[in-house]
Amino acid sequence: MKNLFKFFSSLKLTVVLLAFSMALIFFGTLAQVDTGIWKTQKDYFESFLVIYSVPQQAALYDYLHWLHIPLPGGYALGGLLFINLIAAHITRFKMTWKKSGIFMVHFGLILLLLGELMTDLLSVESQMPVDEGGRSNYSQAFRQNELVLIDRSHPDHDTIHAIPSKLLKAGKTIEVPDSPLSIRTVSYYPNAEIGRATNGKAVKSPATQGAAVKMGIIVNPKEEVFAENTINTATAYVEVLGPDGSLGIWLVSNVIDDRFPPQMVSLGDQSWEIALRFTRHYYPFEVELIDFKHDKYPGTEIPFNYSSEVKVHHNDSSKNQKALIYMNHPLRYEGLTFFQASFANNDKTSIFQVVRNPGWVLPYISVLLMGLGMIVQFGIHFFKFLDKQSSK
Amino acid sequence: MNKLLHTLLYVLIAGLVLVLVAREFAPSNYDSEFDIESFAELPVQVGGRIKPLDSVARNTLLILSARQKVITPEGNTLSPIEWFMDLTMRPEIADTYRIFKIEFPDDLGFAGLAEQGQRYYSFNDIQPYFDELHKLYQEVHPEPKKRSPYEKQIVDLNQGLMLYHRVMHSLHPIGDSQRLDSLVDEYQTYASIIGPGMVELRKQQAGDEYDAKILNSFIFFGDEYLKLSQTAHMRVVPPPPPVDPLEDWKNVGLELLDVMRGDGLSPYVTSYAALTMAYRLDEPDAFNQEVHELRQRFIGDFPTHIDRVHFERLFNDTQPFYLSMQLYVLVFILVCISWLCLRKELGQCAFWVLILAFVIHTLGLLARMYIQERYGVFVTNLYSSAVFVGWGAVLLGIFIEKIYKNGIGAAKASLVGFCTLIVAHHLAMSGDTLEMMRAVLDSNFWLATHVTVITLGYSAMFLAGALAIAFATFGVFSKHFDKNTARALGGMVYGITCFACLFSLVGTILGGIWADQSWGRFWGWDPKENGALMIVVMGAIFLHARWGGVCRERGLMALAICGNIITAWSWFGTNLLGVGLHSYGFTDSGFMWMMAFISSQLFFIAMVLLPWRYWRSDFGRSYSIKARKRIIEAAEEA
Repeated sequence: MKNLFKFFSSLKLTVVLLAFSMALIFFGTLAQVDTGIWKTQKDYFESFLVIYSVPQQAALYDYLHWLHIPLPGGYALGGLLFINLIAAHITRFKMTWKKSGIFMVHFGLILLLLGELMTDLLSVESQMPVDEGGRSNYSQAFRQNELVLIDRSHPDHDTIHAIPSKLLKAGKTIEVPDSPLSIRTVSYYPNAEIGRATNGKAVKSPATQGAAVKMGIIVNPKEEVFAENTINTATAYVEVLGPDGSLGIWLVSNVIDDRFPPQMVSLGDQSWEIALRFTRHYYPFEVELIDFKHDKYPGTEIPFNYSSEVKVHHNDSSKNQKALIYMNHPLRYEGLTFFQASFANNDKTSIFQVVRNPGWVLPYISVLLMGLGMIVQFGIHFFKFLDKQSSK
Repeated sequence: MNKLLHTLLYVLIAGLVLVLVAREFAPSNYDSEFDIESFAELPVQVGGRIKPLDSVARNTLLILSARQKVITPEGNTLSPIEWFMDLTMRPEIADTYRIFKIEFPDDLGFAGLAEQGQRYYSFNDIQPYFDELHKLYQEVHPEPKKRSPYEKQIVDLNQGLMLYHRVMHSLHPIGDSQRLDSLVDEYQTYASIIGPGMVELRKQQAGDEYDAKILNSFIFFGDEYLKLSQTAHMRVVPPPPPVDPLEDWKNVGLELLDVMRGDGLSPYVTSYAALTMAYRLDEPDAFNQEVHELRQRFIGDFPTHIDRVHFERLFNDTQPFYLSMQLYVLVFILVCISWLCLRKELGQCAFWVLILAFVIHTLGLLARMYIQERYGVFVTNLYSSAVFVGWGAVLLGIFIEKIYKNGIGAAKASLVGFCTLIVAHHLAMSGDTLEMMRAVLDSNFWLATHVTVITLGYSAMFLAGALAIAFATFGVFSKHFDKNTARALGGMVYGITCFACLFSLVGTILGGIWADQSWGRFWGWDPKENGALMIVVMGAIFLHARWGGVCRERGLMALAICGNIITAWSWFGTNLLGVGLHSYGFTDSGFMWMMAFISSQLFFIAMVLLPWRYWRSDFGRSYSIKARKRIIEAAEEA
């Protein structure tokens, strides 16, 4: 036991773990060429074990294709470093002024790691496109999908039943809360190619209802993609079950969106619109885009400024607010942060990145602690050193 | 006697420094009656800012020739602006200047082009091969990254010729001597024909009878100027006053075309035409008068810009970084000699020259800030990061030298300063180094804090690595390398690494905060962020290995040299990958240089890890003897 404790508190372990971290970061950078940042992050830094192999496009693939390098992932290394740090502080460190800097640096580091973990687990990122003169009260997460059943019978508002796509597993049945319906997933494809059958050919499709039958839509499943600015066409065949059995099988996909007539599910005199769409986050306020500006440096195409003048209309009108969102100047509102992310539609549509990150202040505290700690620690060393020099 | 000798030495070194400084700071004296200096300061709007013609001439020449001078067939040396004048005003002569640099002319396979040992060719040399070149260019791989070096050369030459053609057409239409000698008349004819031309055109469109002669010459002008508006490279025509600095300027062709809409012709256009005529007719007085008027007009329209434009021309002429580069070489040589003889005197000289070089280096950085109107922002692109890495390393080196006074700080500072300026020099070949910042990066506060701090981290890492290399070379080869020197060097490496750690860490986290401010993600595992993090981790490994006694001298030095590789990777390697938000400057030959650098560092790591018995220094031998004793004792005990 004592030996184990000694092992976990040793500086040798620190050095080894740091060396592994370095290797992990390096290979985690190389892998991005192949798989893009998003997937690499999941594979390398939010995991316990990862195996690096040379990507097929690499120049040296022919010689190095056999090479597989197993590495502990970010969670494993982070966790071990954390244990190592705590163990070292329990066994070896005494709280003295001389060591105060080291304490601050390490405490700052712990905060930083916790903050990063919190961000990983809790932060929500989505995008909100708004047209000039238009309003929006929701944002969309383009990497997540949801199956929705929308009841539009009420004159004032719609009732939306949403099921996250990760619950759509082939063969599983899910009850839709507060409704007489349940959903049985026939099949779910994270990414697919959707097209219309060429004339005359019979379409082999499980669908018995909706657009797939009317338009002869066929589905070809595809590999999921993760590169920057790519979108997966999530697609599913779902069977809707009423109290007395099946109502039919529908094809739903996030490309079958507002451009198409809604697919309806009816039971008695009740009806619902059924769709698979990017996960939406609704807010108790609407963002109105008053004006979007896209300035360029004179005589060039180099962007100089993007800015969006917005007005937020809250249900509680005392919280209404006007703001100018531009580069490096986001709007922080109700625990959310709105960033100028992109634009579309000939500069008539502005796209905001909407982020909810409850841990966002932690890095600010940790940078202060670590910076100060280092200055204190190195300062002590440095002045001691200068004393020695001058006494020589 | 001794004293006299020393005085003589000081005078000699001071003289040498003076010559170097005077060469760069001397006011350019053009051996000409034409007021070339004022011409060089005429304004032009390129890349989103107003700059002197001189800057455009230099950058164009850098892209075409990779140098800032032209040697005429008669053997005269021309400055960039003189070449530019010939190119735009006497193109028939400029076409004979050898300014196209072709690295491997034989490889092009143009029969009769390549001359033994000649890498520079003139427009006239290349012209007979245009068809062949065009054919080759058609077959080049469309994706720039997948082109072979041979294809790249073809693309470069093709693009160079286009640039040459476009810059030639910057000031007015180009034609035979007759046309160039009567440009002002051409504009007058054009202005007078617009009215009647329009009338005839309307008649033709209505199906009425019209004067074909008037209409044809009107259409001829229209065609010509339309072509010119598509070719002319630079925007030399400011909008009529009152002027908004953010308004687009026009190129000559566009301005001439717009006359058809009823706008008056800008006086800038006629002035440039008059300049060309005066230059061609060898009438310096008329030329100088016209330049003066142009300049006054610009001052009237842009009273706040003239100082900056003037200053930029001076900055171009002075080339402070080039000067400090030369001085760093001098410092290094002085220190090396000082280790052999006259240790104290030469050491002191070296220190003061280092200070001078550093001051000039600093002035250069400040000058760039002034021109870009970004005070406190040292780094805006890859080029300026190289300049600044050197600056930081020299600053730290000066502190070390001040403390230890043994020449090592000065030698390594000057070496890193020199190397990074060389890197910067090569990065400058791609054109303007004072380019505008994209909107995402446009934040003076973050540029001044995050980027500056992190780049200082690079400086410190490189300096620590350079000191460790000194440890390796002296330790293995120099007999005079004793325990004290070793301890001093070890202390320097440790201190500088602490500094590097602090700056990389704070810089990296500041970068995270910037990211959090601008797109809501504190950390995104972007390659450049990862690179910065690797530097921090490297520093942490070094410090923990030292505190924990995991590594001794050799191991620590190997780690410090390893820091060089990590820093180079973070600085350039991540740009080579070409993914992520930070990949702001892809350099192709960069990859080879990167590999060469890494190999050299691996070599030094291997050297410092050599077993003690191969070390020739006292320091190394004492360890070797100790080790041997231990073995003998162990053997005896057994």
